[in-house]
Amino acid sequence: MSDLATRVRPVPPSTVVLVSGGSRGLGLAIVTDLLDAGLKVAAFARTVTPELAKLADAHPERTHVGPVDVTDLAAAQAFVRAAEDRLGPLDGLVNNAAVGQDSLHVHTAAADLARIIETNLTAPLQLTRLAVRRMLAQGRRGRIVNVTSICAQRGFPGLVAYSATKGGMDAATRSLARELGGRMLVNAVAPGFFASEMSAVLGQTQLDQIVRRTPTGQLTEPAEVLPVVRMLLCDQTNINGQVIVVDGAASI
Amino acid sequence: MTELSRARIRGLMGEVMANQGKVLPDDDAAELREIGFRSLDFSELALRVEDETEEELNFDAPGLRRIATVGDVLDFLAELQRQ
Repeated sequence: MSDLATRVRPVPPSTVVLVSGGSRGLGLAIVTDLLDAGLKVAAFARTVTPELAKLADAHPERTHVGPVDVTDLAAAQAFVRAAEDRLGPLDGLVNNAAVGQDSLHVHTAAADLARIIETNLTAPLQLTRLAVRRMLAQGRRGRIVNVTSICAQRGFPGLVAYSATKGGMDAATRSLARELGGRMLVNAVAPGFFASEMSAVLGQTQLDQIVRRTPTGQLTEPAEVLPVVRMLLCDQTNINGQVIVVDGAASI
Repeated sequence: MTELSRARIRGLMGEVMANQGKVLPDDDAAELREIGFRSLDFSELALRVEDETEEELNFDAPGLRRIATVGDVLDFLAELQRQ
């Protein structure tokens, strides 16, 4: 079949965005930022935190939130349908929901490996499939941003399965961008370690060492990732199939 | 499962093209390359068929590579519904 085409129109900025894992941390910050930018946002997480509920109360006409486990595809489908009924058709997706890891591979239970892969890789692929099918079926264009990690590109002990899933999503990002042929822009944002995460598992000496090795002299903050996510969803850039690292050049 | 007729699939194909400001020719021999019907247009059409039949249509990519004309599209989707 021909893919020679008539000139493709640019993918318009997203207006209604689904954010998975939007109840805390970076996910909550993304929801807040997109609402501040005037977008409509549907956000789910396993638990709706008071912070997310407060946002929803502050913007009742532009938000739809609910408790959904991202691995529960039927619940995710129901949430998307309800969100579209309330906010209008989705034209943006941020795959943010993920579980972390802090265990050496040889000491990670098989069931935990499966859970990490299901949550961080299978579930976002399923959610992406769901969102893309809804957009394509209605002839809509849209944008997808996958939140991955520097772990996909650099090795870190204690994060084997987590890194594998993030690398998988980076790879999927590139193939999706190809497969969706310009009807959708698909990119990934790969933050470095956040100070809060690092301090939870590393000692002060190790933290200081990482900071010394980072040219910008600081660990990444969620607020520094937000403009990149917003740009990928809203700006006309022709960036597609890329993984944008936000880590102060710690990894280069 | 409801099975869509070839004519109905053709109608949906026309809608997909019209959505992009293009026109579906009457001739089944018309080349997809010539009329600007792309792979993702095929996906959109398949999803519209799914929507009407309420049955998910899954297929592998190699089958799509043999599709070159409007008639091929209609035959493929008509056949897929019977599988």
